[in-house]
Amino acid sequence: MKYLCLIYEDRVAGKTLPKADIEKAMKEYWAFEDSIKQSGHYLGSNALEGTETATTVRVRNGKISTTDGPFVETKEQLGGYYLIEAKDLNDAIQVAAQIPSARWGGVEVRPVHLYRRS
Amino acid sequence: MRYLCLIYDDEKKWQGLSQKEQEAGIAEYGAFTESVKKNGHWIAAERLQPVHTATTVRIRNGKQSTTDGPYAETKEQLGGFYLINAKDLNDALQVASRIPSAKWGSVEVRPIWETTRP
Repeated sequence: MKYLCLIYEDRVAGKTLPKADIEKAMKEYWAFEDSIKQSGHYLGSNALEGTETATTVRVRNGKISTTDGPFVETKEQLGGYYLIEAKDLNDAIQVAAQIPSARWGGVEVRPVHLYRRS
Repeated sequence: MRYLCLIYDDEKKWQGLSQKEQEAGIAEYGAFTESVKKNGHWIAAERLQPVHTATTVRIRNGKQSTTDGPYAETKEQLGGFYLINAKDLNDALQVASRIPSAKWGSVEVRPIWETTRP
């Protein structure tokens, strides 16, 4: 089964951290990534730029409208994701719990929809 | 530049559609995916299972807690994503406006934070 682990954390608070703390967190992320590559869980991942860079797009009656900012304003923001392969939800939760941001933010685990295209 | 297009739409509306209408929606998505694969925008895409299958994981003081449900309760739910290559934000917004759900939901476009690993 494929699962998407969505990482939510307070990016505003993150910006005020000393450089050494940020570097430490990055190192933890690299170590986490190495470990899930070794265990075969890793499929892909990306970190996102801050929500201030987000644009939301809608098309109504054939007209495109864009608004600055994310779709949803939350205290903790979507900061990135890991796409993983896991035996089942429990296995996926064990992986998600090792994502460094789970300690200061939250990680939403969602199964990926599988469908065959005819 | 790489951009993540996050698709938000009302799951309940989708569930309320007839089988024929759902098939038409899936066919529209199929055509969109084909077109972005042909023009080189496509990198990856996934559709997610409904939010009732989501689990949110947090670690506090070394203890793991899991709660059922998504990180954020919203009127429209994150239903999937496209990871695309685009010249710039305008190009990305043009692609995002062709995602079928932009007509009945919203698409949030976020640039990828390109990190270089030391």
